[in-house]
Order: sequence, then C-alpha cells, then structure tokens
Amino acid sequence: MTVESTLSTKPRANESFSNQPLKTSILPNLADLNFEDLSPKYAKSRFIVNIIIFSLIVIAALILQSFDLSPFTDNVTTGYLITLVFAGLTLLLSIYLFFADQHKYYALREQDLSYASGLIFKKIVTQPILRIQHIELKRGPIARKIGLANLQVFSAGGALHTFEIPGLPLKTAEKIRQFILQHKDITEVAKTNNDTQLTSSDLNDE
Amino acid sequence: MMNSSDDLSLNSSTADQKQSINNQWQRISPIALLYFMVNVVQKLIGNIIYIIPAIIAGYSHLKENPTLWLPILFAVIGLIIISVFLSFYFFQYRLTKSHIEIISGVFAKKHINLPFDRIQNIKFEQPIYYRPFNSTCLILDTAGSNKQEAKVVAIDIDFAEQIKQKILAVNQLTPTTIATNNETVNQTPANSYHNTKETILNQRSLTDLIIHGLSNNRVWIFLAGLAPFFDNIARFVGDKLSSIGINTDQLFSIAEKSWWQISLYALTLTFLILLPITLFSVFGSIISFYDFTLSKLGDRYIRRSGLLTKHEVTMKLSRLQMVIRQQDWLDILLKRINLKFEQNQNPGQNLQAGAHNNKIIVPSIKEHECQALINDAYPNNNLANIKFNAISKRYLKRNLAYILLPIYIGVAALLILNHKAMVLTWLSPLFLFIALVIFMRWRRWGYAQDDNYLYIRKGAFGVDYLCFERFKIQQTQFKQSIFLQRHRLCQLKIILASGGVTIPYIDQNVGYQIINESLYQVEQSRRSWM
Repeated sequence: MTVESTLSTKPRANESFSNQPLKTSILPNLADLNFEDLSPKYAKSRFIVNIIIFSLIVIAALILQSFDLSPFTDNVTTGYLITLVFAGLTLLLSIYLFFADQHKYYALREQDLSYASGLIFKKIVTQPILRIQHIELKRGPIARKIGLANLQVFSAGGALHTFEIPGLPLKTAEKIRQFILQHKDITEVAKTNNDTQLTSSDLNDE
Repeated sequence: MMNSSDDLSLNSSTADQKQSINNQWQRISPIALLYFMVNVVQKLIGNIIYIIPAIIAGYSHLKENPTLWLPILFAVIGLIIISVFLSFYFFQYRLTKSHIEIISGVFAKKHINLPFDRIQNIKFEQPIYYRPFNSTCLILDTAGSNKQEAKVVAIDIDFAEQIKQKILAVNQLTPTTIATNNETVNQTPANSYHNTKETILNQRSLTDLIIHGLSNNRVWIFLAGLAPFFDNIARFVGDKLSSIGINTDQLFSIAEKSWWQISLYALTLTFLILLPITLFSVFGSIISFYDFTLSKLGDRYIRRSGLLTKHEVTMKLSRLQMVIRQQDWLDILLKRINLKFEQNQNPGQNLQAGAHNNKIIVPSIKEHECQALINDAYPNNNLANIKFNAISKRYLKRNLAYILLPIYIGVAALLILNHKAMVLTWLSPLFLFIALVIFMRWRRWGYAQDDNYLYIRKGAFGVDYLCFERFKIQQTQFKQSIFLQRHRLCQLKIILASGGVTIPYIDQNVGYQIINESLYQVEQSRRSWM
C-alpha cells in the first residue's frame, strides 16, 4: 500500500469536519434510549446455578455438622444456627440477584452501544463503536448449553472498563458482533490504524 | 516521498562500518555486558527478600566450612558471568527499510519484528555507566491491544538518534498522522518535518527540583533503589544512636513518662522522621528530574531528564489524552504547579517509577509557565479563566450526615457503654478532620465545559485541574442510585485511554447533556484518539 493511495482514501476526515454551534435539545439523548431485554433464560439460569451452588455449600456444612466437624464452633446448636443464617442470607442474595438480572438491558444506536444495569445503583455504560478495538463472544459451559453468549467489547480505556453485555441469545450476539465489524468506523480505523488488525502482509513487505 | 530518507548510513565520525541498514544481523556494543550484569544483580537483589532466611541460616555454616561454600560461591558467580556473556552473544538486531528485528534470549528465544509505522513510543534510556562509551538503550514500543516492546540494549547514541529520526519520518507519513494533522488549524505539511527545529519549551533548574522534592513526596524513587538494604540501615541507625548514649528501648517505653515528655518525644520523633524523608525526597526528585528539558520537535514533545540514568521520552501531541495541573497544599503555598501530560496507559506501566513512565511530568513550574505549556498543547483551551460549576450539596449531606455521623455516634456509644469515653478525646478530632476533608473535597469538586474541552477540578487541600478534549473519550458511564434519582442527581464517569475521571453529584440533566454532547463529538468528528 503506497502512501499516495492511502492519502486519497483519507481526506474524508477533512471534508466532514465542521464545528457548527448546536442546540443541545437536538442531540440524540441518552435518556431516550430504547432498551431491549436480555434473554429471559439469563436471569433464570443464573438463579438456578446460584441456588445449586449455595445449596451444595449448605449441604456440605450440614454434613460436617452431623460429624461434629464444624469449622466455626464446637457447639452443635450454634453450628446449625450459623448454617441456617447462611442459608437464609444466600437465598435472599439469590433472589436479589434474580431481580437485578432481570433489570439489565442493552440498546444499540447507529454509532454506539449502551448497557444499563443495577437495581439500586443504576448505571448506563455507553461505548462509541468508533473506539472499539476488538470484540469477543464469551460462552461458558452453561451458556453453551442454553444458547446464550456474553458480548465483550474492548476499547483503549483498559481492561477495567471492558464493555460487556451478558446473557444475549447467541444469534443476537452474533448479529451485534457483525453489526460492529461491518460498521464503517471500524473498517476505516482498521485501514489506518494497524493496531486493530495485524495482517501478515504487513510484516512481509520488504 | 520516502526516497530521501531511505538510506540510513552514518555520516558521523563515530560510525562503525557495521552500523547501517544493510539487512545484516548485528551485535550490540560490548558495553551491554555491563548492562546485563547490572540487570542480573538487580534481579538478585530484588529477590533477596525471599532468600534472606536461607542466607542468615547459612551464614554461620558458611563461615565454618569455607572449603565447601567458597567453590559454590564461585560457581554461582561463574554462572552469572556465563549467562551475562550468553545474553550478550545471543542478542542480535537487524534493521531493514521499514522494520526493526531483534532476536534475544539464551534458552527462551524471543524474536521481535517491529514495523516502524507501528511504533508509538521511542525512548532512550542511558544508565550512568553508558555515558563514557557514548551508548544508550533504545526502547521502542507499540501501544494498543497488542503490546510489544523492543529494547536494543546498547547502541551508539548517534546511531540511535538516526534510527529515531528515521522512525519519526516514517511515522510522519502514515495516514493516521495526516488525518489528525488535517484537522488542526495550522497544519504542518508532512515533508516539512525535516526542516523543523527542536524548540525548548521548558527547563528546570536545581532550585526548582529542590522545591519539587520538598513539596512532593518523591521518597519512593529513592527508596525503590534502597529497598534491599532497609534492615541494615535500621540496624546501623540503631547502633549509631546507642553509641551516642541514646537507648532506643528506653526511649520507646512510654509507661512512666508524663504527657509533656511523651508529646515532646512524639514531636521530636516526627521531626526526626520527616527530616530524612524530606531529604530523600529531594534526592529522589533530583535523581529523576535532573537536567530536565521539555522540547518540541514538529508535533512531538520530547522529555529528557535523569541524574544517573538519563531518560528520553518522545510523545506525539496527538497521543496526548489529558492535561493535569496538579497542586498539593504545599505547592499552593509555594505557588508551584506540577503539570502532567497523560498518554494512554498500558496495563502495568503505571507501576514503573518516575522517569521510566510514559507520561510527561513537568515538575514544580510557575503559573505563567504552566499556562504557556497548556496553551501550547491545547491552543484554544480556557482552563485559566473558565468558571467551574460546583457539585451538589447533597454530596456533603450524604457523606457527613448519612455515613460519617452514624459511624461516629455508633463508635461513641460503644465506647461510652464500655467506660472508655477517654478514647473520644483523640477520636473526636480525627472524625472532625475527616469531616473537614469531606468538606474540602466537596468545595474543590467542580466541572466546566466549552465547545471542545471538558474541565474538572478536584482535590482536598491541594487542587487538581484536569482538562481533555471531548473527542478523545473512549466510553461514558452514567450512574444513578435510587437515592440520587429522587433528587434528580447523577454521577458521571468518563473513560479516556489514560484512565477514568469521575464527576459526582451533578444535576441529571447536565449529566445527560455532557454525555450526549461528548458522544456526539466522538461519533461525529470520527477523529482518532491516538
């Protein structure tokens, strides 16, 4: 790829640049996003998995208790009491998580992705597609079984700020991934910025 | 276009015939032996903490059986020397028209092939023992998702300079650069790069560095190098003190002393501890910032500094993510400012000490110098005269009334119930101090915006001003708990490649407006963040 040819594909940045004063009221508003639900299977499956894990812990504790091997206390009644409290708390936590999982939404716009979550502490994360560096679909064993996928999107904001939409039906996740990959911002960036796309031809042009 | 700089052959007198671009693998200068040696020794000292018990246990044993241990000692030294030599022997590099290749490693071979146009940062690192030999380390790295770092351990400094110029020239011609250049008002054409002279923007004198050492805690730079010897130093100080008649054990048994004695001791002790810390801090500041120069070459900032190891960091202006104007409380008194140019942060890199870092810190400058530098980086910024909006008073109410006060009441009740109310005499001032910190944080926190930039002010007793271009934003987060929702407030987190910034407790409409406008600027301008 010669310098001249890349130059000719690039002046778009120049011609489309304008800086007219804008009324804020005509900007697309984050508050008016049309959020979509995650797969209903997501909250349910997480609830079931949580319940199973916590039950296993409680059962293990009960078994230990019955053999007088409690790690916490010598007193048998206190041991059972602790187990009971633990069981109650985890049940409450599972129920809380179940409702929290039901209140996770995502929204797509032409130029960005948003993800809303939180029952008490609500949060809307918005990721401009232009800034996406790479995308991953992550699927654990259970997600594979029930046909779900997590969409992870990485930007230069660092690993701490990975944008993630969990619990999408696989088809939807793949569609979103395709939408991002075909987005013209991404393809432009890939052309100009080799970091996003490392091709072998780049390395062998001596 | 590239023909002019295609051939990189040395014209300086120090030139070795071998040092040119000829597709040949070449070795580095033999001074690298010393470098590898220092590396090994540093690693050993760094790991010595883990083997200290073994050494202590073995020391007496060693003394008794020199015939057994001396050969082992020599064997270890021999091994180190052999490994150093092998590291040198197997380190080779090759320059081609547009790539640099490095092969290194004795057992685990590493082959790095770095195209010039992918190099983001060029750094020179010159340890003190390189100076007589006119050599330097050349560190090249790529930023972004696939990070690679290449280090040419020892090459002639003039040759390194030429490689740097070559890489810069190639980078200058890449489309990314041109795209960003087009958008700046006074654009420099790509070919004029070679005509541009390096201009010095700022220099720091020794006095400045001493002030910097006093007002900013740079002890850790000094301590980082000293860490392995802590125990010895403590013992040495203890011995010295007892030799001049001060018994530390007696000094620290406070049981039979009266309160004024104790407080006098405490005061003296604080002073005694503070004095060396301050001294060390000054040393640390001088070690990392000695001979500080910030200069500009075309669209690049170049920072050079260092007393023992000289560092040179080059940063392209377009890579700048955020400018931070930092003042600690002592800085405010002394009317000095630390200015930070933040680049994108690669994971793990922020752990490196002072001068190694990619970011450029201009230490302890004066107000007008600071504004000049900010204006140079961000030509039409309003940081100096923009009016900051305060955050909501709710921040105070929540932290003071709903968090701090209940904790205080709880603790006080517990103490009184347990007949230990005396503890409150020093606990209450502590809580008052925390309340003061919260109040100061609320007072400092502010935000402002204009067409291109977002400004954030924060701090407690010190004050930081953050300023960044909106189009560099990577991601936005709008946070609102149901309590905040009730009061139509929200919290923003804005993520840049250099890290996240928070604006707490602002009106939710303002929050939405800031996000909407920022996203619009990112998505409409389509400008690259690098």
